[in-house]
Amino acid sequence: MTAMQPAVGASTSSDMTINLGPQHPSTHGVLRLMVALDGEYVKSCRPVVGYLHRGLERMMAARPYRQSVPFTDRLDYCASLNSNLAISQAIERIGGMAVPERAQYLRVMLCEMNRIASHLIFFGTYAADIGATTAFLYAFRERERLLDLLEAYTGARLTCNWIRPGGVASDMPEGYAQAVCAFLDGFLKELDAYDTLLTGNPIFRVRTEGVGIISPEKAIAYGASGPVLRGSGVNIDLRRTEPYDAYPRTQFDVPLRTEGDCLARYLVRVEEMRQSARIIRQCLREMPEGEHWGKQPKVFRPAAGEAYSRTESPRGELSIYLVSDGTANPVRVRVRGPSFVHLSMLPELVRGVKVADMIAILGSLDTVLGEVDR
Amino acid sequence: MSLPPLRRPAPTRTGFECDPAFVAGQFAAGVAVLVAAIAVASALPRLPWGLVDPLLVLIGSHPVINALIKALTVTVFVTVHVIFLIWLERKFAGWMQARLGPMHVGWKGALQTIADAVKLLMKEDIIPTRADRILFIAAPFLTFMPTLLTFMVLPFSEKWVAYDFPLGILFVLAVTTNISLGTLAAGWGANNKYSLLGGARACAQVLSYEIPMAVAMLSVVTLEGTMSLTEIVKHQQHGWNIIAHAPVMIPAFLIFMVCGLAELNRTPFDLPEAESELVSGFHTEYSGMRFAFFYLGEFAANFFTAGLAVTLFFGGWLGPWLPAPIWFGIKTIAVVTLFMWIKWTVPRLRVDQMMGFCWKFLVPASVVVFCATAVWVMVAGS
Amino acid sequence: MRLIVSFAQGFVSILKGMAITFLNLVGRRKITLQYPYQRPNVSPRWRGIFYLPYNDEAGRINCVGCTLCAQACPTGVITMTKMGAGKHASVNAFTMDLGRCMFCNLCIEACPFDAIHMSTRFELASVDRGVSLLTIDKLAQGGADAVERTKRTIEAALEQEAAAKAAAAAAKAQAAAGAQAAEGADA
Repeated sequence: MTAMQPAVGASTSSDMTINLGPQHPSTHGVLRLMVALDGEYVKSCRPVVGYLHRGLERMMAARPYRQSVPFTDRLDYCASLNSNLAISQAIERIGGMAVPERAQYLRVMLCEMNRIASHLIFFGTYAADIGATTAFLYAFRERERLLDLLEAYTGARLTCNWIRPGGVASDMPEGYAQAVCAFLDGFLKELDAYDTLLTGNPIFRVRTEGVGIISPEKAIAYGASGPVLRGSGVNIDLRRTEPYDAYPRTQFDVPLRTEGDCLARYLVRVEEMRQSARIIRQCLREMPEGEHWGKQPKVFRPAAGEAYSRTESPRGELSIYLVSDGTANPVRVRVRGPSFVHLSMLPELVRGVKVADMIAILGSLDTVLGEVDR
Repeated sequence: MSLPPLRRPAPTRTGFECDPAFVAGQFAAGVAVLVAAIAVASALPRLPWGLVDPLLVLIGSHPVINALIKALTVTVFVTVHVIFLIWLERKFAGWMQARLGPMHVGWKGALQTIADAVKLLMKEDIIPTRADRILFIAAPFLTFMPTLLTFMVLPFSEKWVAYDFPLGILFVLAVTTNISLGTLAAGWGANNKYSLLGGARACAQVLSYEIPMAVAMLSVVTLEGTMSLTEIVKHQQHGWNIIAHAPVMIPAFLIFMVCGLAELNRTPFDLPEAESELVSGFHTEYSGMRFAFFYLGEFAANFFTAGLAVTLFFGGWLGPWLPAPIWFGIKTIAVVTLFMWIKWTVPRLRVDQMMGFCWKFLVPASVVVFCATAVWVMVAGS
Repeated sequence: MRLIVSFAQGFVSILKGMAITFLNLVGRRKITLQYPYQRPNVSPRWRGIFYLPYNDEAGRINCVGCTLCAQACPTGVITMTKMGAGKHASVNAFTMDLGRCMFCNLCIEACPFDAIHMSTRFELASVDRGVSLLTIDKLAQGGADAVERTKRTIEAALEQEAAAKAAAAAAKAQAAAGAQAAEGADA
């Protein structure tokens, strides 16, 4: 097989430059990949980002601290609550706010629900990338039920904006715990079925096994995080290594694979959904009574200084850096998104593979363009 | 100096604009045709049929007129049954995916395909500026014509076959190969890189899978000792091939099915139009009726391949109680549904895996099955 | 041998997958909502289009024109002009430009008078850009009528207040005059 591959980098007259995107079915948003092809082989690939750039960092810096939370919904729109958590933590750190214990549990529960929703999107779109359209719709059917739950709690399905500095915007509605438990029971059964449909499928396996291998060294060198890092056998999960909110008080396993290929990343995410379900159940069981939102200062003017919060979003490490000069608005807000880092690995990963593999690799990195472009 | 006024070309009438007078005219014409049709129909029983009958017999026995009538029947059948097949596929996929499928036009969306066809007819006919015009225009017909031709030898019953060709299987193999010519022309002619990749993939795929498919069909020929499709069915009077000769015919049928999926460009072999990679493959640039021809050809080929499987392995039109063509239809639709079921379950292979599977597995396997059939015939015959 | 075993396993797992899709084909409820004919039941917490609740007892909308919501809004959706003063205050104009709105709920949390709510109406699409500009007539619960009544209530209250003030002032003046007269009489 290697004999068939063209010398990487050598340019011949049979080279073909293709622009995959900004409108292409499998770039999941407005990503453009400038790909040089030699027949079916990818010689080089240059991701062109920025089609979704809205200047969110600057927009957040131009507003009072607490008004920046809704903007984070638009970062990683598949997991808005996880982004809310990142900015809320940063603001709490810079202003020295405490979070009531019940709110900590509520936050963890909401984040894990959103993690499942986000991973379901990955599951579905990845299946569609590989060519299995039916699994895509099954994943979205389950996600729909989850979004209904998020809607019952927060009033919005996608841009929830319900985790706020100092707590959560409201407590659970009546009967919510039972509804979530009922969903989880059905969901885990469905997940097993989907696993059989896709994971066991020999065609899916030959398409993903050994494709797009990221060595642990390379993953660390690029700064990969989340399932991409854990798929390469590096056991770092910020929920475990730097636990925040109620995570230190919950029991869960961090799924780990050592293969580093697309299948490993896929399996890590599928297993994470099961673990998230476990965490949600624990939260519902152990949640103490109390208030959901601590006492808020009327005017929020943190002392001059800086704060950095690291959270584990479904895609990896989502961190936010804040600088305050003592006024009501931050001087600088900086978002460190996992998708951007992972996308930067793409050119190296796809060199010399086939077009179909390139799509499989791009899908397995699970990038969200809202967060890449910000 | 004053600038000349900006000149725009006067808007041209396409005939599809929503002009009230135009619509009213069309409506009136439609009513007139309807009235005329009713008048003719009511007059039919009163015509002197006794005089017409010999004339019809004369026409029927005339070779040219006979051929024309048969050609017309086949064409109409192909066009009309595709309307049903597309609806079936969409409903099937929808139900499988927890959706409802088309629901709006007609009973449970039964007329959706017709609405789509009308829409496609009215769409702008786009030919890319730098396309190879001749190839681009010819490609849809190049893919559709071979499919249409194959229906010529497909036996719906002993009598319902347009041309009972003694070398039916050879004819089918020869004609279906030409489909790849059309896809290649489409891929090259559109001057689009996705199309080119799709066309190249389609050509390689169809040509490769032709071989194991032919060998699988040849094992049936070995078994029956004839290449005529009607003869093959007649030989199955005492038991379908797949049951009577199960040890060799089941593997042959499986190979035939897999190759059929590949020939039809259906998942797991839908690489030529892999949506997530090549947008739409070789027909990316096609719109309107030209696109519809590709679609038509694809679904007609679906029916034909299923029909061929039924003829070769499932006893063709044979069956109790119901008339023969209905049996053939039921069996064929069942096999078409099986194609759909597979399509909506499995993911897509990669191009090297697809070729490897053909050359490293299917070709040897088909040869083994062929040899086994020969041995089987010798043993069973002695 | 290994090849045959793995092939058989693959075949079986494809059949398993087909069984799952078949079960979904025949055994599962279809989840499609025929949208224009069937509408979803959204949760009561749904963050849909805004309204200013009308208080029947007080005969006015709750808003007092304090601009806290406008200050809390990250995108500057809300503008208003105040009417009346002191205890009897409301708004003449209250405009929300939904073209910029993120439906983030911050204005509602900022309001101390429970004067702005979000309804469960979710069909916000329109072919006309102007529709996204909501004036007070469209926002107030009860429409222009409620706005008119609020205005009357406030005006009446203000008049009453002015009258009361005038009466008090007159009484004071009278009392002062009386006292003066008494002083004069004393002198």
